[in-house]
Amino acid sequence: MDFLTNISPISCSLLVVLLPFLAFLYQAIVGRKARSGNVSLVAISLSAILSIYLFWNQSPIESNIEWFRIGDKRFFLGILLNNTTLLMQALVSIVALPVHIYSKAYMKGDSGIHRYWMYLSLFCFAMLGLVVSSNLLQLYIFWELVGFASYLLIGFWFTKESAAQANKKAFIINRIGDLGFLIGLAIVYAQFGTFNIVELFAVNGLAENWFSQVNSLSGTWLTVAGCAFFLGAMAKSAQFPLHVWLPDAMEGPTSVSSLIHAATMVAAGVFLLATVFPLLNETVLLIIAIIGTTTALLAAFFALTQNDIKKILAFSTISQLGFMVVGIGIGAWDAALFHLTTHAFFKCLLFLAAGAVIHEMAHFKHETNLDFDPQDINFMGGLKNYMPKTALLMGIASLALAGFPLTSGFLSKDALVISTFEWAVAKGGLYYAFPIILIAVSLMTSFYIGRLILKTFFGDFAFAKNLKAAKIHEASKTMIYPMAFLALFCLFIVFSWNPISYHLSWVLKEFNLTYTFEEIHSLHILIPVILTVGSLLMWWIGYQLYIQKKQQVKQNALFRFSFNQGYLNEFYAKTIIKPTLLLANFSYWFDRTIIDGLVDLLSKITVALSNLFAWVDKYIVDGIVNAFGSIAYGTGNLLRWVQNGRLQSYLGFAFTMVLLGLIYLIVI
Amino acid sequence: MGILSILLLLPLFACLLILAIPSSYRNSYKYIALGFAFLQFLVSGYLYWQFDGSQTGINSVSGYQFVEQLPWLRLDLGSLGQLEIDYFIGIDGISMPLILLSTIVMLMAIGASWNISKSLKGYFALMMLLSTAIIGIFVALDFFLFYIFYEVMLLPLYFLIGIWGGARREYAAIKFFIYTLFGSVFMLLVMVGLYFSVINPDTGAHTFNMLHMMNPANYVDGSFFATAANSFDVFGIPARMVGFIILFIAFAIKIPIVPLHTWLPDAHVEAPTPVSIILAGILLKIGGYGIIRICYSVFPDAAVQANWWIGLIGVVSIIYGALNALAQKDLKRMIAYSSVSHMGFVTLGIASMTVEGISGAMFQMVSHGFLSAALFFMVGVIYDRVHDRYIYNFRGLATLMPKFTAYLAIAFFASLGLPGFSAFIGEAFVIIGTFNAELVGTGISRWMALAGSIGILLSAVYFLWTLQRMFFGQTRLKGGEEWAVALTDLSKREQLILFPTIALSLLLGIMPSLVFDQMNAAVVNLVALVSTHL
Repeated sequence: MDFLTNISPISCSLLVVLLPFLAFLYQAIVGRKARSGNVSLVAISLSAILSIYLFWNQSPIESNIEWFRIGDKRFFLGILLNNTTLLMQALVSIVALPVHIYSKAYMKGDSGIHRYWMYLSLFCFAMLGLVVSSNLLQLYIFWELVGFASYLLIGFWFTKESAAQANKKAFIINRIGDLGFLIGLAIVYAQFGTFNIVELFAVNGLAENWFSQVNSLSGTWLTVAGCAFFLGAMAKSAQFPLHVWLPDAMEGPTSVSSLIHAATMVAAGVFLLATVFPLLNETVLLIIAIIGTTTALLAAFFALTQNDIKKILAFSTISQLGFMVVGIGIGAWDAALFHLTTHAFFKCLLFLAAGAVIHEMAHFKHETNLDFDPQDINFMGGLKNYMPKTALLMGIASLALAGFPLTSGFLSKDALVISTFEWAVAKGGLYYAFPIILIAVSLMTSFYIGRLILKTFFGDFAFAKNLKAAKIHEASKTMIYPMAFLALFCLFIVFSWNPISYHLSWVLKEFNLTYTFEEIHSLHILIPVILTVGSLLMWWIGYQLYIQKKQQVKQNALFRFSFNQGYLNEFYAKTIIKPTLLLANFSYWFDRTIIDGLVDLLSKITVALSNLFAWVDKYIVDGIVNAFGSIAYGTGNLLRWVQNGRLQSYLGFAFTMVLLGLIYLIVI
Repeated sequence: MGILSILLLLPLFACLLILAIPSSYRNSYKYIALGFAFLQFLVSGYLYWQFDGSQTGINSVSGYQFVEQLPWLRLDLGSLGQLEIDYFIGIDGISMPLILLSTIVMLMAIGASWNISKSLKGYFALMMLLSTAIIGIFVALDFFLFYIFYEVMLLPLYFLIGIWGGARREYAAIKFFIYTLFGSVFMLLVMVGLYFSVINPDTGAHTFNMLHMMNPANYVDGSFFATAANSFDVFGIPARMVGFIILFIAFAIKIPIVPLHTWLPDAHVEAPTPVSIILAGILLKIGGYGIIRICYSVFPDAAVQANWWIGLIGVVSIIYGALNALAQKDLKRMIAYSSVSHMGFVTLGIASMTVEGISGAMFQMVSHGFLSAALFFMVGVIYDRVHDRYIYNFRGLATLMPKFTAYLAIAFFASLGLPGFSAFIGEAFVIIGTFNAELVGTGISRWMALAGSIGILLSAVYFLWTLQRMFFGQTRLKGGEEWAVALTDLSKREQLILFPTIALSLLLGIMPSLVFDQMNAAVVNLVALVSTHL
């Protein structure tokens, strides 16, 4: 590692970000011929190594270069390395590495695999860039780019109508959040005139001194700014009511779901909130806590009844993100980041294991020509007999998700639940609802993940009689090893020497955050015991229900509510999508009929007026002229009659004239 | 002859050359046009290279570059004094990016004209005449000269739409013509009014010199547009406000603003692809340019008072245009309405009167120039192949035309403001500038920034919806097998035209300083000019 000591940490971090970008460029330029994905793999491996190296060796540092100027305002691009960003950078690249390896086996033979590697590298670049951004504008740029990469990957199988619908939905809902972020940026810029994260959010930075600014915006705008950033986080981190895109996003390849929609991108919202934390005032924090709790509860509730293995995990992710958001809301953003870290590993593993199962089931379906959904857990069962390693690894990840002792999830989830309880004690009154709901959600978590494991790996295989026609195999080594690697990170030992006390975990020690509320020691024993005993109880119930089949699950209204995901999609279709389309069609009608109608009317009036004038011109103006002409002509005609060559006529005419003259003289 | 005159006269020369060459050599016309367009591009590139971004421009001759001033018409009008019209051209930070944009888009339009077969002589001659008029508008600093180019521009466009257009081309052409003429006829009145109100301090004669019009000291006391103690009014509206409103309407028709936009969908839809490209890529920018160069600079006092309304118009255009785009079933019409929406950001940005907002608006103009040109070109690609562009008649095109889909998807994402592409910088800074405007006191409310951002959301909705409907899913075409055969992927020529525009959008998105550095000083000067009236 000698050469590394010679390059600065900033260029090292820059390399971490740019390597996947170079891989992306390589894939984009070479195109169809670059199918192996080795370039992407090498890039992410190097990124991982470099980021781990940085992680062990770094003190806070920042570097910026000027990007452009508007007037006399300067805008920068830069890299910020501090505890949070280094943790995130290492986390992203370490999780991405096994996913890359896994993908080599999982995506093998897909006709669009060159696109897959391209998109995946693009995502890694954007995500790594996001976490080390030194200013909010740059963070926003990468924020949208990860959304774009996610769009591409969700719609990877674009010929599938459902995939094409899902990626559109994901991007549009994320756009709603992006607007929040953009408004937040505008407010911060108007107030402070800078986007630099350190200047804004460091201890005693600008954000903490909102009211001491020249030309300060009112306090309301502080709240609005907080809400705006939270809106951004809500969309990205799939918080209620903007969570609806994440279950649909499961249309993408499972390896993508594991990396983007479980471990890294969806956590970006939590990361953002932790970054802008000093800007969040009491009101905003309370809103955040409420939304987080609601999300955790609802998503866990929806997860209880889903049959699609990936949907269960998707709702689980939403629910866990809810936990993290609550952590932000109570001010324990360090605990939120801790849970983000542990969650990234075990949820990624859960998805990869689920992918291995789906892979086999799809293979089985193909071989036997049976018609069933390879992702439906009702068609699985007893798979531990055929895929023992996968079952074991998924079991470890499930324990971590349930927060069972000796796992990493135990530490981080306890940190969140206990802190919330302590926070509630300090606040009193209705605030107790938060920790109580979280405890209930933890138990529900144990139940749904228990249900998933039981229905997938235990009991009897649904198509046992078809096993002669085709076999179900253990996942290949290229898939098992990355999973085993991730399983390692599901154990407590990686995060703390002490399996019981989360306070000793290095993640929390590193942040060294002082909470606003008192620590209550009795809770540190009580809550873990409740959660552990509760989990065991849940699994026992699950065993009775799904393996022993002692009782049928009643499909009552509550069940249907959960199964249909709270009817939210239908609700949105009716209340938002349809009215928007109606409004659009109305606008178009208005445009054609009223505005353009007026223009056409005006032109018609002009034409009618012109016709009128033409008529007047022809019959009145020209009529008068013609009348004069006719009179002259008539008179002439009359006189012509006299000039006929007969003497009598001339004499008669002369006589008449003389007579007329005489009469005239006499009369006058 | 200065380099600007060369830029201006090159296409005119080409026009005459094409007219002079007999029709039996008709195949040479497009090469002549292409050659001259390329030459023009090189000249404008040279201008960009030589351009000094630190010059302030706007209201002082010394701030302009490549200035040429020759007396053109001098007529003794007896008691009315001497008529003074100059051939007065020059560029500053506001016109420089737009000139470069124009030459690039022109080059692209000629490239897109390759398959035109109907009366080539007239077509290419008119194209070249149009090119001269466009450059003339961007370089003219004498109002009379500006007006001439402005009117000359109409003529070729009328014929290009009316002869080479689609089924309802005559309706569209006359609508376009009358709309624009309606604006410019009143502009003529204001121009004459200004002429009699302004005195050239050097000669003492009345003048059409725009820069003199920007200096309040040059106005004659008691004249119609006098800056000090002006008691004239029209229907109770102060004279200077009337002048501002009339000029604003004339240019706003070009942008276009809602509700003066209905010429645009018709003109775009009926025009042949190259003319659509020019309309969207350059013509709409003339509106924004005119507002900055003339409305705001000559009538800053009135502009400040009208600001709130102009901001409102911008917001309405953004949202109304986006909603209309959402309702379209014809791809070209959808893109036409999206132009209305995107150009709304230009209006809003200018109205914000902050450095961020105006820079954002200028950037948006350049960005929209490339992107809308690319989008219209791509609609043309489909239309060329199957003579249909009804969204629901296509499905799953991505399988048939992967390259085309990739280009289109990139252009769509760039247009909906994906960071890394130019539109993002433009729209984001318009929003930021608009939000900031209340602090500066330019009369724009903060909610306009919020409302404008809804347009960004809607643009994602209609672009992605189109992408999903036309390009994803299983291939299913109205024309069946026949269409599937006809819908070949992009040819080399088409890629050669598309690639630079997308690349430029990307380049500007990554290095916005390429545009900002050219115009910072001018924008700051403009804001300073206007804010003295706040």
